[in-house]
Amino acid sequence: MVLVLVGFLVVPLFGLLRSSFLPGNRLLEGTGFSLKQYLIFFSDSYYSSMLLETVVDGLVVTLICLAIGFPTGYSLARLPPFARRWRMLIVILPLTLSLVVVVFGWMIVLGRNGLLNAFLVNVGILSTPKTFLFSRPAVVVVLVQQFLPFMILSIMSVVAQIDPVLEQAAANLRSNRFTTFRKVIIPLALPGIIVGFNLVFVLSISAFVTPRIIGGSRVAMIGSLIYERMMAELNWPSGAAMAVVLFICGLGFTAALNALATSQFIVGRRRREV
Amino acid sequence: MKSDLTDYVMRVAGAAIRALVYTMLAIPAILVIVSSFTSSDTMEFPPTGFSLRWYRTALESDRFMGALWTSTYVAVLVAVIALVVGFAGAFAINRFSFRGKAVLLGLAFSPLIVPAVVLGIGLLQLFVWLNLARTVYPLLIGHLVLAIPYVVRTVLASLALHNVQLEEAAMNLRATPLRVIRRVTLPLILPGLLSAAIFAFVTSFGNVTVSSFLTYGGHATLPVRIFAYMDNSYDPLLAAVSSIMIVVTLVIIVIIERLIGAERLA
Repeated sequence: MVLVLVGFLVVPLFGLLRSSFLPGNRLLEGTGFSLKQYLIFFSDSYYSSMLLETVVDGLVVTLICLAIGFPTGYSLARLPPFARRWRMLIVILPLTLSLVVVVFGWMIVLGRNGLLNAFLVNVGILSTPKTFLFSRPAVVVVLVQQFLPFMILSIMSVVAQIDPVLEQAAANLRSNRFTTFRKVIIPLALPGIIVGFNLVFVLSISAFVTPRIIGGSRVAMIGSLIYERMMAELNWPSGAAMAVVLFICGLGFTAALNALATSQFIVGRRRREV
Repeated sequence: MKSDLTDYVMRVAGAAIRALVYTMLAIPAILVIVSSFTSSDTMEFPPTGFSLRWYRTALESDRFMGALWTSTYVAVLVAVIALVVGFAGAFAINRFSFRGKAVLLGLAFSPLIVPAVVLGIGLLQLFVWLNLARTVYPLLIGHLVLAIPYVVRTVLASLALHNVQLEEAAMNLRATPLRVIRRVTLPLILPGLLSAAIFAFVTSFGNVTVSSFLTYGGHATLPVRIFAYMDNSYDPLLAAVSSIMIVVTLVIIVIIERLIGAERLA
């Protein structure tokens, strides 16, 4: 296992790093060392604004996933097994189903002859069908649906370990649901929240199928740009440099989250000791 | 009174959010299946008529059926290799204490936080450099890396629940270590192993994000073909092909569910 992962995960990452410093614009051509790709990336505002938009979109997707995934994950953990069964199937299906199929399903929802238009026109909210595809909100909605299961499952697995007795104790002490939620459940579920947050963010910023198909040419995210550079323009050093920047963003986010979690944990402990 | 109000608001909001979430999660798959039975030439909702013509077109299409075959055999190979490799890793992590165990565990789960684009490009370059880019190996290896975290997690979970005393009993009866593993450990954790293999299969079968970088010149899997087709057309043929994928995936999930129960899917 170590051989496989080092050989085919760690080595390619270094290879990627190396080729991002190549001077040429073509397929792995030449040798030498140059910062050209990075200079282009950071000096042109086109790239920096796209990177910023991608990160903002990633954060929005992650926050929405947290907001709607938490109640769902929590209730799943507390449900009796027979009721949990079919709900789990619904949660697991988009996770295991190919991304392209899910994206195609959303085209049927959002397209001009789609479900949403048929509904809105019939109800009378819209007089003529409208295109919902090719917009940033559409991309965000589809990304939320794709990555929501990761959040739900991470939260479900930690909540399942919280003893319901703690909540009953809080209720006995006359705290209402919101106080119990804030003072008891959130701190205990924090590890799961962090794992889910991390997974969803990394997945969202590197998405390229969804922005390309649902967003079209109007919504650019860094993942779809990398795909274009690599597979259509064959400009590998440029694609590699962008992938390195993307990877560093993801790692930075992971590190920041971990740091936050550790400090929260220490503060929490100190408070309890006092 | 105030506390009763917040309780009420939270209960109603929770129920509404859950209804929204389940609808949202289920709707794309349902719509794909519903529209695949249309008899018209274009995609529209609600679909007109009922026919199986698009399934016939799909089954006659070499492009999609060839890719379905590629997807299937790659996924089967990945499942077998990932299970062997992942079991070895998980067994070591579970049973022995050694230096660098935490690093090994971290490494096993690291493919989850490496963006697919990064992994895809890195592997593509490696295999171009090795002059193997046009073979099926990039796909196999890429999917293997992706599947390992799932296999390790599932196998670790079943090893954690497994009773070591049974192995000790077998050893007391003078069974050799290899025999203990073969006759006691493996049969006991068989459901966990099977579901790990099936997880690996599904991961490989559905993957598009890494695969689309690794199908450089041939050996395209079904999701990659669908992605390429979707880039410039939108018709019921796609719905029929996608429905085939949904059915395969659904059958597999139900099998895992029967094997280990839905709670442990996570």
